[in-house]
This record gives sequence, structure tokens and C-alpha cells, in this order.
Amino acid sequence: MAIAELPLPIARYHAPRRSRRAWSRAGLGLLLPAALLAFWAVGTAYRLFPPQVLPPPSLVWDSAVDTFRSGKLLSYAAISFYRVVVGFVIGAGVGLVLGVAMGLSRTVDDYVRPLFTAIAQVPNLGWIPLLVLLLGIGETLKLTIIAKAAFIPMVLNTADGIRRVSPQLLEVARSFRFSNSQLLRLVVLPAAVPSIFTGFRYGLAKAWTALVAVELLAASEGLGYLLVWGRQMFWMDLVIFAIIIIGVIGFAMDFCLTRAETYLQRWRTEPEQ
Amino acid sequence: MSRALDRRRWTRFRRGVTLPVLLIALWFFATHAGLVDSRLLPPIEAVLRAGRVEWTEGALLQNLEASLFRNLAGFAIGSTLGLAFGMALGISPLIEKLCGPLFHGLRQVALLAWVPLICMWLGLGEASKIAFIAIAAFVPVALNTYQGARAAPPQLLEVSRVLLLSPRQMFRRVYLPAALPSVVTGIHLALIYSWLATIGAEYFMALGPGLGGLILAGRDRFEMDLVILGVFILGLVGFALNLIAQFAAGRLLRWE
Amino acid sequence: MRVSRPDQGLEIRAVSKSFRLNGAPLPVLDGIELSIKPGEFVTIVGASGCGKSTLLRMVVGLDGDYDGEIVHAGKRVSEPSLSRGIVFQEPRLFPWLTVSRNVAMGLENAPMTAAEKARSVADHLALVGLTDFRDAYPGQLSGGMAQRTAIARGLINRPDLLLLDEPFGALDALTRARLQRELQSIWSRERITMLLVTHDVDEAVFLGDRVVVMSPRPGRIAHIFDVPLPRPRKRTDDALVRLRNEVLLALEEATDDTAAEIVDFPRRDRDGASRPAHLRPDAEAV
Repeated sequence: MAIAELPLPIARYHAPRRSRRAWSRAGLGLLLPAALLAFWAVGTAYRLFPPQVLPPPSLVWDSAVDTFRSGKLLSYAAISFYRVVVGFVIGAGVGLVLGVAMGLSRTVDDYVRPLFTAIAQVPNLGWIPLLVLLLGIGETLKLTIIAKAAFIPMVLNTADGIRRVSPQLLEVARSFRFSNSQLLRLVVLPAAVPSIFTGFRYGLAKAWTALVAVELLAASEGLGYLLVWGRQMFWMDLVIFAIIIIGVIGFAMDFCLTRAETYLQRWRTEPEQ
Repeated sequence: MSRALDRRRWTRFRRGVTLPVLLIALWFFATHAGLVDSRLLPPIEAVLRAGRVEWTEGALLQNLEASLFRNLAGFAIGSTLGLAFGMALGISPLIEKLCGPLFHGLRQVALLAWVPLICMWLGLGEASKIAFIAIAAFVPVALNTYQGARAAPPQLLEVSRVLLLSPRQMFRRVYLPAALPSVVTGIHLALIYSWLATIGAEYFMALGPGLGGLILAGRDRFEMDLVILGVFILGLVGFALNLIAQFAAGRLLRWE
Repeated sequence: MRVSRPDQGLEIRAVSKSFRLNGAPLPVLDGIELSIKPGEFVTIVGASGCGKSTLLRMVVGLDGDYDGEIVHAGKRVSEPSLSRGIVFQEPRLFPWLTVSRNVAMGLENAPMTAAEKARSVADHLALVGLTDFRDAYPGQLSGGMAQRTAIARGLINRPDLLLLDEPFGALDALTRARLQRELQSIWSRERITMLLVTHDVDEAVFLGDRVVVMSPRPGRIAHIFDVPLPRPRKRTDDALVRLRNEVLLALEEATDDTAAEIVDFPRRDRDGASRPAHLRPDAEAV
């Protein structure tokens, strides 16, 4: 890359583009959902589907407004959000520590990995009945399941990232007589950050799925419970609305995490795979 | 050198079994010394006994078969559809612009959130379970296939255009091999997710035999030994599926 | 310009080293004897596989497991020291740090105040001509700029001894020529003892006061040439060209002359230069 090509001052990675292409792309992307929405509205108006199976969009909107007005939406969303965040922080925090330990020390990895793998083989859903018998159906159960869901990918990705630190960079640091704590703080951890973030994202996704699962099975409030309630009462509109909300929140969380990741890794210039 | 390697493997094995053995010993000791309520943690023999009982008198084999069958059916359907859809997304910019955002939006919905919807539309029988499992398998396959097809090196595509390859030839010779590693990853994930979805389906659409039903029955009757047995078998099958997937991946991607 | 003290020179006495490959010992260096005076610029030239990089790593202290003696500033070298800097073939910059922070990395353990460190970093960036790029990330740099950053980082502790392991090997010919000139002018100004390893005879003769020719498998010193030519040197200079041809001849002799040792390398073809044995990183040292 010739010196002349180097932008000065250094261009910001991920500069927003308001080009015409971006708008047309967005427009085309909305075409299919818009068409489906139109089909849905017209179909229900002409009674193409029985109303229990697919209520008209207006009804979904009404129940959305209702749920919001009655305060249920916010309180349920808050509860679900609280569970996910607390569970995720616990699970990812413990997972980070264990992952670092396993990445740094072969001994720790040797001891822990088989047991860890065995536990990871059972899907989160499988653990729920077991833990229900042990912990009841209170908040402890929910937080435990969510924490466990976040824990597994966190450990895997962190250990992997730590182990993959370039030995070449470590040599450079050693040639400057870095102590072990300096090596860890200034070389190993920064180099492992991309993998750690991948662990965060997977962990959060799994935690969110686990939340929905546990709220479907054993909760009396929360967004998952909204689904259960709607289904028990055969209120399809509520079910659809709950699905939308769950999707939106899941997307929002992932989006924020991706943004944070981009910001922390602005030194990256190659496209991420 | 090989001796050093063997020594290393032995050390790793020795260390690896330490914790599980310790835990089992702890379990044995705790239950026999009466340190724990036997309803919360039944002794190991009780679990083994439950296993034997279920195998001989109960319907363990049928339950397992039913679960595995559903798993396979849903996995096959979901993966095939996912492969086709992912390829279409990756190859055709038009389809990607049209269907991409909808796909990415829908896949944000946590998998289990679809359960009530499916229940209400398809009931609680086999069809709904298999549909749910198919969705679980569809998403990772579609996503990974899409990424794999997109990763087809543009240089190779240019070369094929210069060589006047037909679209079908390009598909077979460029897109497919380039996407193969990602596709394999996607199918591996699909295998894991579909097993997860099988259990989930059996929990929520508890009609018919299945391993999930067995576990739920254990929970409802407060029979911990049954639950532990079920969870153990769950893990075992998951492990076996994982192993199969890794083996298949290793064979398919020998050139990597 | 630094004051050269007699005890800041480098002494390499009877140094040998073997690796273990598939159970059998693989001798890499055998009986290396070299004495480097403070302020001297010595280049080592040899084909791949003659152990020159291994020797350099031992001199910098990254590998303390060898027979013989490597003495720098009166002490046996067995671990890294801030009085010895190294520039590798790859720039080895930390991708998440800017250019100036990368250079400042070297001062992490230096007993200086923050202001002094900042001054030093600025000075060294100016030395390699990268002042304008101090806030760039390595991903935005060209190969030559990245390597210049690595050189600045190698010099930042004002070491007595700077080791360079094929520093320009990965660059294109034009950039390489330019950086060689820059390195020469840095040396002329700072008079740091430099030990540069290369497989490029032109580079070795252009830069060094003395050129050490090594023969491979195991690495031995085959010949040492004096280059009594004043600097700045011109590549077209007759005397330089003549010397270069002598060195090239000696190198070819040294390389073809390899003893037919029955060491089983995975790759060995006869196209004039034997392919190097690539030692696996986990090969145990004997």
C-alpha cells in the first residue's frame, strides 16, 4: 500500500454510508416482509384462515397496545431482561475465569476438560427438569440455567482464544523482559479479545434461548410466560406479539454487542469472517 | 518422540478422569453416609436399577427409538431445506436482498419461542415435533451455507467466467467446494441443535413416546433416579452424535 | 552517539546446539567462534538451515539452552535483557496498538518517567521517519513501514547490541534497498553494535564491517571477510562488487560442501540448494 494511499488523519473503520445503494438495498429487503404482511392482512379480511390459527394483524396490534398499556409488557420484559443479564453476567464471568485458566495452563485444561465436555453434551433443556427437582421453580433455577447456558460457550471460546495467542508476539514481549503478569495483561488478554467476544455473543444467544425455555416451562411472569399464557388462552395474537418482542430484544442485544465489539476492535482492518 | 507423545497422552488421560472419578466417589459416599436426602440425590445403584427396569420392563428402547427417529427426520428435512436456501442466498444477490433481511430477522427469535405457535397450528403430534426440529436444523445450515457460498473466491469465479463455464458447472466446481467447510460446520451445528430441539419438542408437545417424555415423567413423579438416568442417556446420545459429526467432518474435509 | 565500552562487546565461544527430531539429535550449530567489538556492524550470511536464526535467538537470550559461551557485557547470556534489542523477520507488531504505542511497548520495563518515555518514542519515530504515522494501526501500514516500526521498537531501549534476523527478507526489492540505506545511516549516527543475519549476499556486503559466511548442517563458520570500505557505500563501487563476488563464491562453496550427513529430513531435493529442514516448534532441545 503506497504511502500516498494512507488516509490522513486515519479514517474511522465502519464509517456510516448514506449512499443511494444503501437505501435501495433496505427497500428491497423490506419488500418480502411487506408483501407477507399485506397477504396476512388481506387473507384474514377475506377469511382465508380461521381466526384461531391466524388472527388479523390489527388484532395483534391491539393486543400489543393492550399489553403495553396494562404495564404488563414493560414489567414482563424487565423481568426477562433482568434474568438474562444477571444470569449472563454470572455465567460469562465464571466462564471467562475458567477459560483463561484452561487456556493458560495445560494442567488445568487436562483436569477440567473431560468433565466440562460431559456436562456440555447434555443440552440446556435437559438440565431443566433435574434442576427443577433440586432447586424448585424459583429465581435460582432460572438464573442457574441461564448462567449455565452462557458459561459453556464462554469457556470454550476464551480457552481457544488464549491458546491461539501468537507465540511470535510473546517472544517480542519476552525480549523486553515482560513479567508473567505483564505478558498476561498486555499481550495474552488483548490478543484473545476477539475470541472472548465471540464467546460473549454465543453466550448471550444461548442465555436468551435458555431464558425463553425456562420461562416456558416454569415461570409465572416474563416474556416466555407471555407465550405460555397466550397459548393456554388460545390467544394467537398474544403469541405472535410475544414472538415479535422476543425476536426484537434478541436482535437488539446482539446488535449492541456487535457494536461494542467493533468499537473495541477498531484496529481491525481485515473483514471479519 | 512417539514415546513422549504416549506419555503425554497417558498424563492427560490420568488427569482427565480424576475429577469425574472423584465426583462419583463423592456421590457414592454422600448417599451412603446419609449426608443427602435420597430424594434429591439417589444413590448410584438406584439410577442403575432404574435403568435396568426401564430397559427390561419399561419402554426405554421405544422411547429412545422414537426420539432418535424424530431427530433424524427433522434434521434431514431441515438440513436439506437449509442447504438449498443458504446456497440460493449465497449465489444470487437478488434472492439475498429479497429474502435475506427476513431470514436474519426471523432467526433472531429464540428457537423455543416458536413452540407455542407450532402447537397452535399443528397440534401436539408428530408433525409439529418434526417441524420444530426441522426449524432448529434449518437455521445453522442455511446460515453457514450462505456464508460459505459467499466466501467463494472471486478470483475463481472470474476464471470460470473466462472459461465460459455454465451456471451448473460453476455451482458444482466453484461454489460447492468453496462452501463445503462452512456447510460441514453448519451441519455439525444442526446435529447438535436438532437433538436439543427433539428434547424440547418432547417436553412441550408431550404426546407420544420419547426420551424427553421419560424425563418429564420422572420430574412429575419426583423420581430423581429416572431423571438422572434420562439426563445421562441424553448426554450420551449427544456425545455420540457429536462424535459422528466430527468423524464425518474429518473425512469430508481431509484436504483441509 | 553512544560511548563504546570494551566490555560491551559480544563474545561467542565454542557455541554448539542440537535439537531433537524424531528421537535422533539434530546438530544445528557446531563450534561457533565469533568476537564482535562494540560499535561494529557484523553481518552473517548463509543459506537456509545453517542455524543463523537459532544463533541470533541464543544471543538475544530467548534460548538459553546451548553448549559453549555467549558473553555480552561481561555476563553469560541466558535470558533477554534490555541491553539487547532484536528485530525479527516479521514486524511482529501488536495489532491492537498504534505505531507509537507499539514502539512504547519496549519501554514498559524501562526506569523512565512517562514524559521521558514519550520523548524517547517521538525521537525514535523521527529516526525511522514515521512521525506522521504515530497513530496508525499496523493493519494500515505497508510492509516497509511496519518493519521500520519494529526497528524503532528494537532501538527504543538504546541497547548496546541490536540483532536483526533477516529483517528485510519479506519486503520487495525497492523497499529493501531503501531500508538498508536507512539502517546504515542509523548505524552511522548511533554506532550501536549490530549483528544482522541474512541470506542476501548483497545486503551482507553493503551493510557489514565484517561478513561471516556460514555453512549449513550443522551451522559452522566457513569464512570471515573484512569489508574495509568507507560509508556511505555505493552498490556500484568496484571494490564492493569484487568483495561481493568473493563472498558469493565462498557461500556457494560452503553450501555445496555440506557433508553427506545421514539425517533424514522430510524434504530434500537436489536443485542446487537443499531445502531446509523445518524444525517443528515442539522439537525438544537436547
